[in-house]
Amino acid sequence: MAFAARAVKVPPNSASLEEARCRVFDFFRTACRSIPSIIDIYNLDEVVTKSQLRSTIASEIRKNAHITNPKVIDMLLFKGTEELNNILEHAKQRHHMIGQYVVGREGLVHDRDPKDEGISSFLKNFYNSNYF
Amino acid sequence: MGLGLLASRAMRPIKSSNFRMCARYIVTKPELQSPESAAAEAPAQPDLPPRTPVGGARIHFPNPEDAIEVFVDGYPVKIPKGFTVLQACEVAGVDIPRFCYHSRLSIAGNCRMCLVEVEKSPKPVASCAMPALPGMKIKTDTPVAKKAREGVMEFLLMNHPLDCPICDQGGECDLQDQSMAFGSDRGRFTEMKRSVVDKNLGPLVKTVMTRCIQCTRCVRFATEVAGVQDLGMLGRGSGEEIGTYVEKLMTSELSGNVIDICPVGALTSKPFAFKARNWELKGTESIDVTDAVGSNIRIDSRGPEVLRITPRLNEDINEEWISDKTRFCYDGLKRQRLNDPMIRGADGRFKAMSWRDALAVVAEVAHQVKPEEIVGIAGKLSDAESMMALKDFLNKMGSNNVWCEGNGMQTSADLRSGYIMNTSISGLEKADLFLLVGTQPRVEATMVNARIRKTVRATNAKVGYIGPETDFNYDHQHLGTGPNTLVEIAEGRHAFSSAISNAKNPVIIVGAGLFERDDKDAIFSAVETIAKNGNVIRPDWNGLNVLLLNAAQAAALDLGLVPESSNCLESAKFVYLMGADDVNLDKVPNDAFVVYQGHHGDSGVYRANVILPAAAFSEKEGTYENTEGCSQQTLPAVPTVGDARDDWKIIRALSEVAGMRLPYDTVGAIRSRIRMVAPNLLHMDEREPATFGPSLKPKCTQKMSSTPFSSAIENFYMTDAITRASKIMAQCSAMLLKK
Ligand code: SF4
Ligand code: FES
Repeated sequence: MAFAARAVKVPPNSASLEEARCRVFDFFRTACRSIPSIIDIYNLDEVVTKSQLRSTIASEIRKNAHITNPKVIDMLLFKGTEELNNILEHAKQRHHMIGQYVVGREGLVHDRDPKDEGISSFLKNFYNSNYF
Repeated sequence: MGLGLLASRAMRPIKSSNFRMCARYIVTKPELQSPESAAAEAPAQPDLPPRTPVGGARIHFPNPEDAIEVFVDGYPVKIPKGFTVLQACEVAGVDIPRFCYHSRLSIAGNCRMCLVEVEKSPKPVASCAMPALPGMKIKTDTPVAKKAREGVMEFLLMNHPLDCPICDQGGECDLQDQSMAFGSDRGRFTEMKRSVVDKNLGPLVKTVMTRCIQCTRCVRFATEVAGVQDLGMLGRGSGEEIGTYVEKLMTSELSGNVIDICPVGALTSKPFAFKARNWELKGTESIDVTDAVGSNIRIDSRGPEVLRITPRLNEDINEEWISDKTRFCYDGLKRQRLNDPMIRGADGRFKAMSWRDALAVVAEVAHQVKPEEIVGIAGKLSDAESMMALKDFLNKMGSNNVWCEGNGMQTSADLRSGYIMNTSISGLEKADLFLLVGTQPRVEATMVNARIRKTVRATNAKVGYIGPETDFNYDHQHLGTGPNTLVEIAEGRHAFSSAISNAKNPVIIVGAGLFERDDKDAIFSAVETIAKNGNVIRPDWNGLNVLLLNAAQAAALDLGLVPESSNCLESAKFVYLMGADDVNLDKVPNDAFVVYQGHHGDSGVYRANVILPAAAFSEKEGTYENTEGCSQQTLPAVPTVGDARDDWKIIRALSEVAGMRLPYDTVGAIRSRIRMVAPNLLHMDEREPATFGPSLKPKCTQKMSSTPFSSAIENFYMTDAITRASKIMAQCSAMLLKK
């Protein structure tokens, strides 16, 4: 029942954009504080550094920088907290972490080539897979 | 047999009469014992909805006045004279349960499952063995018939083991299906079941002889179709057993078919044993490519794995049989596969690389050599699309030295009648004389051989054979071993020439192994002389045939894959092998750059500088033309292995990297290109006969050598990259080939 103890409490809605903003920073700080234990849990030290993960978190948050509705921000925050909890509870596996937060950042490895400019879409598809 | 149909027919009486509902015991009633009274009680049948014949069966009336009318369940049907009661019922759309009856085998009538009631006969009759007589009133659905079937079923199940959970036939077992319809829910048999020692029939067929119900289908198949007297029935009564009379393996190239015809799980596939249940499998209707016959097959796969290959019915090509090579070569699809583009480094080892780099390397080398030094060879398993692409690509590069292995260097592709089977495979059945020239159909084209055997059995056709000593499973005359005999027949000095002229529908079959001989034109002109003297080619009959060896040959010649100069391989600097493993690569100069595009690491790979992995026939959609000129299509059953690509796509991509872009991006587009060259390749499942006969050929001046013909295939079980990679085929060649 350790899960339940750490389970997310749903806070009341943010009254204003300002309050929502503060909560986002709070969440960012909590997330950053848990980075060392995440690296520990999933043995990520050989694939990623703390600062890389920090910027991953930051960029995930910045993705939604344009949102001004405090209700939406609250919802996104809730999702973020849930994700963080899942990670800390080891509800994920190592390849999930690597796929979503380490390698997946740049998209999965593609061998791209500057020479690919100007080739037909047939050839582009051909390099990707047999099925198109 | 449709289980649903059987079950629903078994249910019907239960619905109509209540007493069957409560009394589930096997009881006998007065009306069950006298069919007459049952018939008298039965009210006149109301008009039944018209029924369609079982399995779309069509009837052919040899002469209309021989038609007779019988009534099946009160429903009148017209059938030709000589039909059995069972066949009449099939025409009327009633599926009679059966075990021993098989439409392609002789009638044994020993299982008694097909009992039906016939008005005015005192007992139920075995419909498979009873000829239908005019005005016969057949009843398939009466209590008597049902009771009889239940009785037979009870006896069959008495000694049948309760093996279904561990039996490979489970789910496609006739006994299982029919016991669902006619079986009692409890047994009355309390003694010990009998058991039978399993027999060893070789590496292909697994036996669990306790399950056998003594229908003798396998025995009849072996003697009648396969032509080997290996299987037989031993003992009487409850001691009856199927087996080889002495400890012996079943040495037939058709032995796998007993797996299909055995109605129970007594004979099952050894390589497939305990691999999968049949309802887990996905069936893909495809074409066999291990020989030039193009047998119709179904590829059963689960996920990315081909688990078995079974035949598909095609009356014109393989009927419902396939050869053991076709059936069991599939494990070769999992071994020795090429999965990444690779390049040979300076140390002679292969290194994996990306498609982008591999194509760039190949394109660069191709540009550095002179156009005449570029050579392309298509392998024996290539489909028409990829051969078209290969030819177009090489022509764009300026070279016209492209051919398909097995076709020889000087084969003429101008007259289609000169390289296909003009009689057609099913047409062989009309023949009354065969002359086989340098061909061993038993190993070269098993299904054609089965057709010849069928004809010989049915009409006592004469068979003459010229070639090295070999095995036949029918009566034949060995006329000689080499061209000399051929000349004797052509000049009328041989006894066989008069036999040819006296025959009504003579057939001459020339083996494609002769394509590789230097005096091939002379041999063919001698054969044509024989054909002319024997009146083999008439407006209504064309008996001059070439029996090809490989799946790709006919399409390659249709597409015009013939080399420009016959010794281009010796001066080649850039050799493109598209799955070609059986060309003599010793002739290729040491400094030549060899690209091998293919699916198996076979002999071609040893000499290759770059490997481009391609898809095997089970993984791609491709057109193949068989030896009689019928185009058929393979369909992808499983995904490609690793980073492999379809053959034509590789060539299309390479052409773009080389700056000579081919104008097609889809299969549809490449097919419209084929339409311009050989439209017959697009007429799927249709045999396209040749338009012109050999009379248009120029006169041949070549000298014939006296070297005897050699056999084209050394080892029946291993003829191409897939079969050579197969473990089962290796076991077969070790155990079954006569040394
Ligand atoms: S082994 Fe199968 S096919 Fe042969 S007699 Fe027994 S049940 Fe029939
Ligand atoms: S099918 Fe008629 S007796 Fe076996």
